Amino acid sequence: MRRTPWLHWVSILLALLVLMCVVSLHAYAGVRPKPVRHAGEQLDLPRGTFALAFHGGPDPKWTPRTLDRLRDAGVKATFYVTGAQVTREPDLARRIVAEGHQVGLDGFRAEGDLGTGLNLALAQAALADALDGHTTLVGAPREIDAGYRDFLDIATFVRKSLQPKKGVIRLYDNGTLGGDAARRLAKTRGYEFVRVSDEPLIPVAAHERFTGAVTTWAQRNGGIVLVVFGTAIGIAALLGILRTLMQLGLAHNDRRMRREEEAPPWFAPPVSVVVPAYNEALNIAAAVTSIAGNNHLADVEVIVVDDGSTDGTGEIAEELDLPGVTVLRQDNQGKPAALNAGIRAARHDVLVLVDADTIFEPDTVGQLVQPFADDEVGAVAGNAKVGNRQGILGRWQHLEYCAGSNLDRQILHALRCIPTVPGAVGAFRRAALADVGGVSDDTLAEDTDLTMAVTRAGRRVAYRPEAKAWTEAPVSLKGLFRQRYRWSYGTFQAMWKHRGALAEKGPMGRYGLSYLVAFHLLLPLLAPVMDLLVLYGFFVADAPLALLVWTVFLLIQTASAGYALRLDGESLKPLWAYPLQQVVYRQLMYAVVIQSLITAVHGTRLRWMSVRRTGKLANAPGTVPVN
Amino acid sequence: MQVFVDGSGGRRVAAALVSWTVASGLVAFGAVVAGTLLGAW
Repeated sequence: MRRTPWLHWVSILLALLVLMCVVSLHAYAGVRPKPVRHAGEQLDLPRGTFALAFHGGPDPKWTPRTLDRLRDAGVKATFYVTGAQVTREPDLARRIVAEGHQVGLDGFRAEGDLGTGLNLALAQAALADALDGHTTLVGAPREIDAGYRDFLDIATFVRKSLQPKKGVIRLYDNGTLGGDAARRLAKTRGYEFVRVSDEPLIPVAAHERFTGAVTTWAQRNGGIVLVVFGTAIGIAALLGILRTLMQLGLAHNDRRMRREEEAPPWFAPPVSVVVPAYNEALNIAAAVTSIAGNNHLADVEVIVVDDGSTDGTGEIAEELDLPGVTVLRQDNQGKPAALNAGIRAARHDVLVLVDADTIFEPDTVGQLVQPFADDEVGAVAGNAKVGNRQGILGRWQHLEYCAGSNLDRQILHALRCIPTVPGAVGAFRRAALADVGGVSDDTLAEDTDLTMAVTRAGRRVAYRPEAKAWTEAPVSLKGLFRQRYRWSYGTFQAMWKHRGALAEKGPMGRYGLSYLVAFHLLLPLLAPVMDLLVLYGFFVADAPLALLVWTVFLLIQTASAGYALRLDGESLKPLWAYPLQQVVYRQLMYAVVIQSLITAVHGTRLRWMSVRRTGKLANAPGTVPVN
Repeated sequence: MQVFVDGSGGRRVAAALVSWTVASGLVAFGAVVAGTLLGAW
């Protein structure tokens, strides 16, 4: 097997980090803190010399007027700008420089907003983008305080400003007084007006100009990124609501109709159970014993196909010496080949295909074959349940089996397009298998591939929730990832293989594939944006609002999961683990879908990824003890 | 042949090239911007 692709994770994580920085900078630059005057050093000017220092701009309304006044008066001044405002009005910043005035920095978002060095870096980056230069003038020198401008007429302001006979006069170019006061000052005889410094802007290097362009773009366009995020969340929310409505409508209706339908006479055909097994030494005894201990009313033969195990799986099955159990051995050829070998050896026309890590209840076989009383039914999906529910990971998977897989199956049963008869517990009519050429090894999800093929061949796939089987779920995150990666990748393979169904009249194309694309591909790809935006809300924007949205989202999902548990006849107790599922488990499932898609694009050949067994299934609820 | 599997290897090489280009581009981008801002900081 070639290594599975991994480099995309670097790209995805970096891209997400960049996007988070973009929206965060956009939000940060949009907030204007209270200005704080810079307590600068005294600028040593000759007597009769004044420097005019403008603050608050560049302002689209007042700065052009100020510049006109200064030009008319023939005076050069110094403009202490803020970085965020330069990004908003780069042309005005360029005009300030073009007309011979000096540019200094007051801060990033407001005067004195230099609290962290990063703010100064961002402000200099804004200058680099607009002016191709950095300034050494950071914060104005000590200025003549002529009083608060809103309460002064120009004549008084001029008189008070000139009283010290020299110094830096503080003016504003985001109000009327600045330009007019400058003109009046310039007309006063006997004084010279200069810039705070004649030092030109320091030319910037290419990487500084690039950084300036990037931060400027982020400040201007962060809103667009937020809109894109919002749209993704909107689509994800719509899909989520749609799925909830389908649950409430179809699954509930499906369940109700089952209850109201008059039970047909008990159907008891002879059954062959095929158990493909590869290195299942820990579970095979419990699995085979549970199947052999069935209470089905007709003959049940069990065929264990040992697919070249190296851990003695075949020997363990043989040593059980159970009546009706046959063990076949073959070199390791994969699960589809093992299934086909078992099917060929089977004597009966109703075939139950079951994984070797699964425990049946005594009536599972009997329940599973009931839908075959209807000749249209070609396959039946049973109700796979997590047997090892101990620990948080087991509980999460139990919740997912009920709220995810089984509920999906109820919805899709109502739509007559179940895409997967689970490998853990499913039954097929031999004729249906013959129609599609047996079990194919075209995909890693042979169960989905087979079910889709059977449906496309015109046969109905039924769901029998009463046919319960207890399966061993992975006990580590790594094991869970490997299992779901195979499932997800295999499902995408099957979807692609059967894409022709979209052009057919059957329910698989109309509903089944569309359902899988919407809820198993699109939703997991869009939903992570919700997590990102919640993080953004917590750390950058409105934390209480983010908490509220997240809580509402969680409550809806928890209620939906509770409903699924009720439909499945399960206790609501494990629901306490559901909120925790949102933190690690859900993200792992998203990662699985992304990894599967990238693997598909790369064309990497994946092998069957086995999961470490613990053999703890013997204690699964609903099972009979293995003696 | 399994679905999606690239028998010739051409798609895998192309995808790997794209993957490396995107990742290295993003790393370079991040290094330049973060380096410049942190340097000025």
